[in-house]
Amino acid sequence: MDWLTLMIFSPLIGILLLSVQSAERKTVSLTGILATVLPLLLSLVIYTQFHGGGNLGVSHGWISFGNGMFQVNYELGIDGFSLLLILLTTIVSTLSASVAAAQIKQGLKAYFLWFLILEIGMLGVFTAENLILFFIFFEITLVPMFFLIGRWGFVEREKAAYSFLIYNGLGSAILLILFAAIFAKTGTTNIEELKAIMASGEAVSEEFRYGSMLALLVAFGVKLPIVPLHTWMVRVHVHAPIAVVMIHAGILLKIGAYGLINFGLGIFGDQFAKVAPFIAILGLINLLYGAFLAFVQNELKSVFAYSSVSHMGIVLLGVAAMNEAGIQGAIFQTLSHGLIAALLFLLVGIIHQRTHTTKLSSLGGLAKGMPLAAGFLLAAGMASLGLPGMSGFVSEFMAFLGLFETMPWMAAIGTLGIIMTAVYMLRAVLGVTYGKTIKSFTGMYDLTRIEMIPAAALLALIVLIGVYPAIITHTLQLTLESIMPGIGG
Amino acid sequence: MLENAWLIPLFPLLSFLLLLFFGKQWKEKSSYVGIGFTGVSFLLSVIVLFTQIANGSGGADMVWLTIGQLEFRFGVIVTPLNALMLVIVSLVSFLVHIYSKGYMHSDERLTTFYSYLGLFTFAMLALVISPNLLQLYIFWELVGVGSFLLIGFYFYKEEAKAAAKKAFVMTRIGDVGLLIGMILLFWQVGSLEFNEIFAGVSGGEVPEGLLTLIAILIFVGAVGKSGQFPLHTWLPDAMEGPTPVSALIHAATMVAAGVYLVAALFPVFEASPAAMTVVAVVGGFTAIFAATIGLVQTDIKRVLAYSTVSQLGYMMMALGAAGYVAGVFHLMTHAFFKALLFLAAGSVIHAVHTQNIEKMGGLWTKMRITGPVFLIGTLAISGVPLFSGFFSKDEILLATWYDGRYGLFIIGLVAAFFTAFYMFRLFFMVFTGENRSALSEVRESSRSMTIPMVVLAFLAAFAGYINTPRFGTFLGDWLAGDSEFLPFEHHEGPVWVMLAASLIAFAGIGLAYLIYYKKSLQRDFLSSHMPATYTLVFNKYFIDEFYQYTVEYAARAVGYLGSFIEKYIVEVIVAAVAGVTRAAGSLGSKLQSGQVQTYGAMAFIGLAILVFLVVWTGGYL
Repeated sequence: MDWLTLMIFSPLIGILLLSVQSAERKTVSLTGILATVLPLLLSLVIYTQFHGGGNLGVSHGWISFGNGMFQVNYELGIDGFSLLLILLTTIVSTLSASVAAAQIKQGLKAYFLWFLILEIGMLGVFTAENLILFFIFFEITLVPMFFLIGRWGFVEREKAAYSFLIYNGLGSAILLILFAAIFAKTGTTNIEELKAIMASGEAVSEEFRYGSMLALLVAFGVKLPIVPLHTWMVRVHVHAPIAVVMIHAGILLKIGAYGLINFGLGIFGDQFAKVAPFIAILGLINLLYGAFLAFVQNELKSVFAYSSVSHMGIVLLGVAAMNEAGIQGAIFQTLSHGLIAALLFLLVGIIHQRTHTTKLSSLGGLAKGMPLAAGFLLAAGMASLGLPGMSGFVSEFMAFLGLFETMPWMAAIGTLGIIMTAVYMLRAVLGVTYGKTIKSFTGMYDLTRIEMIPAAALLALIVLIGVYPAIITHTLQLTLESIMPGIGG
Repeated sequence: MLENAWLIPLFPLLSFLLLLFFGKQWKEKSSYVGIGFTGVSFLLSVIVLFTQIANGSGGADMVWLTIGQLEFRFGVIVTPLNALMLVIVSLVSFLVHIYSKGYMHSDERLTTFYSYLGLFTFAMLALVISPNLLQLYIFWELVGVGSFLLIGFYFYKEEAKAAAKKAFVMTRIGDVGLLIGMILLFWQVGSLEFNEIFAGVSGGEVPEGLLTLIAILIFVGAVGKSGQFPLHTWLPDAMEGPTPVSALIHAATMVAAGVYLVAALFPVFEASPAAMTVVAVVGGFTAIFAATIGLVQTDIKRVLAYSTVSQLGYMMMALGAAGYVAGVFHLMTHAFFKALLFLAAGSVIHAVHTQNIEKMGGLWTKMRITGPVFLIGTLAISGVPLFSGFFSKDEILLATWYDGRYGLFIIGLVAAFFTAFYMFRLFFMVFTGENRSALSEVRESSRSMTIPMVVLAFLAAFAGYINTPRFGTFLGDWLAGDSEFLPFEHHEGPVWVMLAASLIAFAGIGLAYLIYYKKSLQRDFLSSHMPATYTLVFNKYFIDEFYQYTVEYAARAVGYLGSFIEKYIVEVIVAAVAGVTRAAGSLGSKLQSGQVQTYGAMAFIGLAILVFLVVWTGGYL
């Protein structure tokens, strides 16, 4: 059975139902949320299939031209890393949908329609086994995001939407040119075949490989984002609706990491190894630049946005280490940050809903009025600053373990980021929850039972990975073994 | 039994989780949950201790994290040092749990308090049975969180918030040192298991320069946790937490974790003479430096806090001077008498509702239990003969003497004099003279508070006898006898060292007696004769201010510089790129002029380019 196709396009059922239903809020909310539960269930099926050793790959002939010289297939497949990202996608999507149902005031139906299309795109990106298909799904994520930000966001939503579109459009233009060039040179876009071709070292010139690798770095660097290509992302974090930011910080940014590791490292491993010091420097800049900027922000969402920039620096550092510890650390960080960022923004959304502000200067002492929310925020902050027992620690430890083996000086400088993360996280989180109540807000109430579910689910996953990382390594083991030979490690 | 030692930290963890999830319904009954579970841990610890003594060391572990071929393990190990620490930690924690029932009884967040205590106790117990550095590091950070949560327990107070943040960040600076040292060590010996580290180090697998660097980095972690100079500033501020917390975390257990770390990795330090000197000198300097600040503070808890910093310095000095047993011995006696002093101070604060010793006095007659136990604690810490502190301090002085560190030996003596002086200053001001309190009626605390104090007073008085030159060095033989990596020499010290230490203690007590009891000497001698020195010491040498004006402002300046770059460089470049795009767009739209000739020309040029490309690339495009 073609589980992958089924899963990717399962949100279509929701889209169909929504478009024929009445616009009554309750039914729309329910359909919207349930429509995301379907891919969640299917992804769990795929998880068990994957571990049962079942063959999930799909390949059909699709487009052919140039007298059969150029053949594009509809090819899907997963490895451990993409499977974990798929699970992350389906889980965070469901949680985000439940948040949207509570927080999106107008046009909920349209919101869910776009949202479900977005989910198809995300699932497709992590499942596609050839570049053309990947690109198509990648593009599918852009359009819904543009509308979701532009229509349902905060004050500067339109500016943020355009900013998003321009940068990501630029990134995908580079991808398109690159993929076309690769196609033209090699006659295939299948990722496995490309890996084999690049490993054999004959078909394409060294310059072409370097060029391709750098193009990938820029294209996915926009997505990750790598400083200085990050300003759009900060804007989106601040002005997009919270439910969308959960998706954005939690999953969409991960496409950058996924692309870099899967294509950059996977296909152009040798070239990647040569520029590893350069990538490590980029990682350091991300880590420290993000941290220091987060330290001086006056707005909670900006703090967390720069915190994301900073945390993505760890991904770059781990990848640059070019050893198993580093790469595993980068992958862990990708997943871990997805969960933590989703939780942080979920809580920001709840705080904003109660207080109508996210300014640090007008928030304070919330632990009194909403102890549960404050407790969750503190826990999320601790997770973000890499507290042992939570997922962030495992990923940071591995990334630094790896980097210290190959580039000890870079790693030593990077540890400054560990301190700075604690500094800015505590400044923001304690500023909001501890201390004197600066303003008393009317109608303040703690987390409701409904809100508890996504918060508790995310925190539970974060703690689970932190306490028992084998749950991830178990799925990841084979993938790493397939990446490592590519870089001669 | 030893392989099941993991049960010991499990019970406080259960207490934490139960109270976290169900505590709201239980209210005051929460304290019984906390006390009960910690009591079980204490009992198990005692059993483990006796099993270790009878059958020798043991443990168990399993794989926790795999990275390719690399494995990181999780488990328990029980050696003499671990067993001793288990008993100290679980006992003090148990007593503090009982004490808190009285001290915190009116607090509406009692449940939260007990759940945090459970979290801390869990992490601390798990820390001291870690068989490898990574696990130790994990719980090392978790005890930091327990400490952070409890310092910030009164979260609505700005001071508590600032103190909690400071404690977390300052110790994290140290933790990063430990993390780097740990990773560097891993790449040298290929494992983080203590046994393999020791084997690797003694087998000469680590180049000497690197070993010194690693040892010093690990020591940086200990400096942060144990409040050693220059990372000590968080510890006095941590007194914002409830007093039972100060007794448990910031006197007896967590702050001693740094000393424990150095002791647990003693073979690594010992292999590097340079690192040993660093440990000894930092410890010695902290011992005397903090003692001078303690001389002039007026807040009862802050005096005790600086005293803690100073005593931890003593322990470090001992370890640095190869006095492994001396350091661990003092860790134990200090845990008892300092916990006692804090609990007694808490009892006083509970009674008079102030922490300012200027507003106390004459409490001896009103608090018939607190007074005497405080006196016992004071005698013990001052090193008065026959009390526990006397024996352990004597060991430390002997260790420095035998290691040939005569400068540190002198420093140890002078710090001992200061200690005796400021502690008796405290005692006389709080318990003798007339009552300067605003309250007319002062009552002794409830039984749940006094019983733990009495137990600790007993230990503070007699715990020293397990390691005395006269009756036998049981502790020393046991601690060092088990491991091939630990040296142990009996210091059959010259009697004059013991005599000098006693005289010094009595001199300090005598001076405090003359000034604060007999009042035959001027109290404001220092402040009136050396105002500059007084100001300097009273303001803790302005180290907080120094950090604020250098590190903190520098970090903020970097942040603002970043914002500036973001706003005026990154954004401007982006705007420029957008501008170029827009210009190109408008150029393009100008071509759409409606003139057929222009279109024709464009089409021709385009075709030419295409043809050229096809020919040039050999038909690929």
